[in-house]
Amino acid sequence: MNVQWIGLVAASATFFGVWYGHVAVRKIESVVERLWVPIVLSLILGLGSWLLSLLADNVLLSAAAGTFGVTLLWDSFEFWRQQKRIIRGRAPANPNNPRHARILTVSPAATTLDLLDRDPVGYPVNPEEAIHLIEDKTK
Amino acid sequence: MNTFGILLGVATLFIIGFGFVWVILGERYLGLLWWPYFMGLGIILVIGSLFTPTIWGSAIMGVFGGSLIWGSTEFKVQAIRAELGWYSFSPKSKPRPPFADKIENWKAPHL
Repeated sequence: MNVQWIGLVAASATFFGVWYGHVAVRKIESVVERLWVPIVLSLILGLGSWLLSLLADNVLLSAAAGTFGVTLLWDSFEFWRQQKRIIRGRAPANPNNPRHARILTVSPAATTLDLLDRDPVGYPVNPEEAIHLIEDKTK
Repeated sequence: MNTFGILLGVATLFIIGFGFVWVILGERYLGLLWWPYFMGLGIILVIGSLFTPTIWGSAIMGVFGGSLIWGSTEFKVQAIRAELGWYSFSPKSKPRPPFADKIENWKAPHL
């Protein structure tokens, strides 16, 4: 029986593309002042990956580059969504980043706290308790 | 010119997009403890893709499997997002999965 490797290649490109994107977008958005730079870079890398996919003779390489490329293109959009999370206080702002420092002064919801950095408790949590829960964790 | 990869990429976009939906609904109505079942289903799909004869069938199974494995690692944070009111929190008691007692002792993964 012939083993069909394309599924494993596509699965790996999807999983690692999403994982890398998830971590990298948060990290890069947090430290970069001019957000258009990573947005444009991610677009270029994504389109470059698609060009590679288009020109590849090998079907495995075409699949990996096509799938990874789409995650890079998505990342480009995620940079903007991540900034929205910072504005709404759903991701921690970095006060050392001038762009985030400006957000912290104009957006009342913005915070430097990571409200997701804890274990679930199984019931709805109000804003004060949400802060207590992450403080308990750091004790 | 090999359009296969780009077409697969577009299909991947929809499969990942669907991931947002099933992670939210899965956490809301089934609950955090079901994460190993989503991960297991993903692993089964990826292994199944190795023995799927057609290229498209194998590729789509693989992408969906990879997306299920990723989504299973999102259950923990999604549960916290619902507790914070960022997504609607279902007050109904959630069905306990098989081996729930064991799963409770496992640390839910988050990448």
